[in-house]
Amino acid sequence: MPLKTLKKDTVDALTLEWVLHVKDYKLTLDKNRCVGCQICTFACPKEAIKTEKQPKLSGEKARKARIDIDLAKCNFCGICDVLCPYGAINVALDGKHILSVVEKESFPQLVRDIQADSNKCSTNCVETEEACPLDLIKVSWLAPDGKTVENVSSAEGLKPKIDVQKEHCPCCRVCEIKGPEGVMHVRKFLCGKIGIHPEKCPEGCRDCLDVCPITGALYLSDEDKKVYPDERFCVYCGACKLVCPVDGALELKRTKIVHTPIRSGAWNKALERLTSPIGISKELKTKSSLKTRESVKKRLDLKGEQYA
Amino acid sequence: MPKKVIQKTFRAPPKKKGTRPKKTEAKSKAIEGSRIGVFVCQCGSAIASVIDVEDLTGYARTLPNVVHAENMNYPCSRQGQDEIVAAIKKNKLDRVVVAGCSPRLYEPTFQRCVSQADLNPWLFEMANIREFASYCHQNTPQEATEKAKDTVRMAVAKARLLEPLKPIELPITKKVMVIGGGIAGINAALDLADMGFKVYVVEKTETIGGYMALLDKTFPTLDCSICIEGPKMVDVGRHPNIEIISFADVLKVDGYVGNFKVRIRKNPRYVIAKNCTGCGECKEACPIEYPNYADMYLGVRNAISVPYGQAVPLIYTINKDYCIECFKCVDACGAREAINFDQKPEEVEVNVGAIIVAIGYDMYNPEDLEWTGYTKFDNVFTALEFERLILAAGPTAGKVVRASDGQKPHSIAFIQCVGSRDINRYEYCSSFCCMYTLKHAVMLKEKYKDAIEVYVFYNDMRSNFKGYEEFYNRAQKSGVKFVRVKLENRRITQDDQTKNLTVYGETEDGKPISADVEMVVLANAAIPSSTAPELAKILSITLNKDGFFVECQPKIRPTDTDMPGIFLAGACQGLKDIPYSVAQGSAAAAQVAAVLNKPNWIVEPLVAKVNEETCSGCRVCESACAYHAINVEKVGDKQLAKVTEGLCRGCGICSSACPMDAITMPNYSDRQIAAQIGAVLQKEAKT
Repeated sequence: MPLKTLKKDTVDALTLEWVLHVKDYKLTLDKNRCVGCQICTFACPKEAIKTEKQPKLSGEKARKARIDIDLAKCNFCGICDVLCPYGAINVALDGKHILSVVEKESFPQLVRDIQADSNKCSTNCVETEEACPLDLIKVSWLAPDGKTVENVSSAEGLKPKIDVQKEHCPCCRVCEIKGPEGVMHVRKFLCGKIGIHPEKCPEGCRDCLDVCPITGALYLSDEDKKVYPDERFCVYCGACKLVCPVDGALELKRTKIVHTPIRSGAWNKALERLTSPIGISKELKTKSSLKTRESVKKRLDLKGEQYA
Repeated sequence: MPKKVIQKTFRAPPKKKGTRPKKTEAKSKAIEGSRIGVFVCQCGSAIASVIDVEDLTGYARTLPNVVHAENMNYPCSRQGQDEIVAAIKKNKLDRVVVAGCSPRLYEPTFQRCVSQADLNPWLFEMANIREFASYCHQNTPQEATEKAKDTVRMAVAKARLLEPLKPIELPITKKVMVIGGGIAGINAALDLADMGFKVYVVEKTETIGGYMALLDKTFPTLDCSICIEGPKMVDVGRHPNIEIISFADVLKVDGYVGNFKVRIRKNPRYVIAKNCTGCGECKEACPIEYPNYADMYLGVRNAISVPYGQAVPLIYTINKDYCIECFKCVDACGAREAINFDQKPEEVEVNVGAIIVAIGYDMYNPEDLEWTGYTKFDNVFTALEFERLILAAGPTAGKVVRASDGQKPHSIAFIQCVGSRDINRYEYCSSFCCMYTLKHAVMLKEKYKDAIEVYVFYNDMRSNFKGYEEFYNRAQKSGVKFVRVKLENRRITQDDQTKNLTVYGETEDGKPISADVEMVVLANAAIPSSTAPELAKILSITLNKDGFFVECQPKIRPTDTDMPGIFLAGACQGLKDIPYSVAQGSAAAAQVAAVLNKPNWIVEPLVAKVNEETCSGCRVCESACAYHAINVEKVGDKQLAKVTEGLCRGCGICSSACPMDAITMPNYSDRQIAAQIGAVLQKEAKT
């Protein structure tokens, strides 16, 4: 008769559920991983996700925005899950992380191009591990028999193994640039531009820096004690922009999202909301030129066959 | 006697001249009655045991212009009517008064009777001395007789001034609309279509079929429900005389019997009906699923889909509440090009001669009945949810399993009268729950035998109608345990570990009784459709206190409404099971045919008449009329009130509201009513 639904909000997680007799749809927001960046809010096709700014308490650091999801609007499509740069949202069907939108090719996946070359690891490859601002890299040493060796003192005869929790990685490239050279290779999937106008920044304000999850993406200048961005590390998630108290002091624009090939109206809309109409038109142009190239190639091949 | 002559000649000479040449009004030479006959009914003993009918008859003879008075036992009988006809002819009566019961039932009978004696039917008047005198003053016969005399005196005073009228004839559109495509509506539509009438079936949801299409089996024969109804649904879809307007709402109904104008909004399906082949390839491509109402939310359907495979019409619908607009369905549909995301609601207007209302019922959500634990406890289901579980085409493919662990229960309790027979919720009996519970119990017991323990917690088992009691016996023989409990003090508790349930009740002699079970099924009340109040407003028909449509007369006119040309069928008139709904659908169809087959619709001429000389076009009448029957229109250079005769119910509100005194009600004119008032105020009768 009535649809049985559940919504649970705890300190660590927000859980939404459709309890059907034969199926169980569950959405979990891991509040510890969520940085309050608003990407899910833009991505949601049903406008079910709200980003609520948290008031800054006097004398305390700025707090990241809070996410709330409307159970009446959510359709458990999983688009937020796909697009969350930090992998903070998980949509599961009967406990399995299967996304129908991805399976049925109506939504792409983000391309997290992360490569780890363990051969380049030196004994103290722990630096790679420590470089990650989100603790997603784990380096372990394997004995020739494949067993993990604890408390390594000498790397002799051992093989290093690098594990990265890819689904949570926003691809900030800190490990590549700040870690040991040549070990990690990362390509960003969110591209864009960030700029801060220091003249507009209030004296002593470092709200953006306080909420930025990527160490180094924003830094406090020693000269004027103002915050500046470092494009090398920024993942363009926008958490900083949301807490900035001055309109126009911090500008952030996403221009491109790297994803698996797709043909989907839902993706076009999400892309438009996340980047700009220019972003989407660029992508569509690329797509159409690709198509033209393919069709020309096809014809040429055909001709070649005919002549052969 | 001389007085009468003077009165007559004094008051009406010019009119007398004027009316003389009138052809058919054989006996009514004058506008004022000069030869009145009074017939006093004894009504067995219903009147005669209280009222002195001899005294009353004698009194009637003394009234002015009364030339004949007699009392008889049933004037409404064939013999009584013959006697009246004879008396009219013999005494050359020109007005007739029957002092008897309420005109509501018998006025038409006596009107037909007097017209047999070539008297205009509107020269007849009825004095109600039964409901107004003998019934309500049983212990004071003398006073009752005096009151009856007053009533008769009033009737005679009015009868003297009655005018002959001519019935109004209206044209009839030979089409019909059935609102609601459940089993009652389907039968009504098929019957009418087979008779050759064009039928529009307006259905609110995506498919016709109603609740019957969602059921597994039907009692008491255990026939497969959709196997019986499915072919009928297809027949409706294919019949050349039937047009299904599904996923649509009735917005407005104007007009009157024979000439209804219905405005309907077709809601957007985002699928072009004529291009959709029902192949379902779009559904395969769709990545989104949402809870399916047709499965009572136990299962899911795709954002583009049909609620179930047998849907009629087989047109897919996109639910934009869930669709993410990836357009994969557009790709899948391909060259058929049936999908249109820009579809807008479309309004259409159809003209019909009659309307059948068959909108069915809703189910009560027992969430607010805390003792049931519904929605709190995993393994408490409603009957319709259980129906979808046991159905082979249902979300669990016919496996009855618990929600908590997906296991087959070894014991199950059915609880009767949940929300119904409860004066705080729904006072009435839902009528079919006992039988469907027996059906569920028998199905479980015959399928799983001793592997399942089945309890039925009931208060009264209502298994009337053909074959039902025998089915009850079958249930008892199959080993179902029937536990008779009071409706009060029932409750259900859950073991939080095992999610098993305990049902508690109290026997008739106050002893507590309980059963430990693994699943509970509630026979929740069936309730009036949530759309009934709005439709009642649109159609100007009434709902009873429970919210079901009111029939014209519960015994002998169960499918009529008070509005001519609008009929009822199925559970919207009162809860009923399938055979009864089917029969009522056919009954309503027959009544519609009786209307549509007439060359013209005859309306009683008791409708408002506007005096065009005095009407100022002020529109007061327009807002006073509850039936939208009077409207001010421009006639020449003047604004004039015009009466739509088919809509006017003759209530007279416009007449009393009119500041110019320009509206009169035939045979309820000021003069006639004043004469009645004059008569009742007259303490002693003139001799």
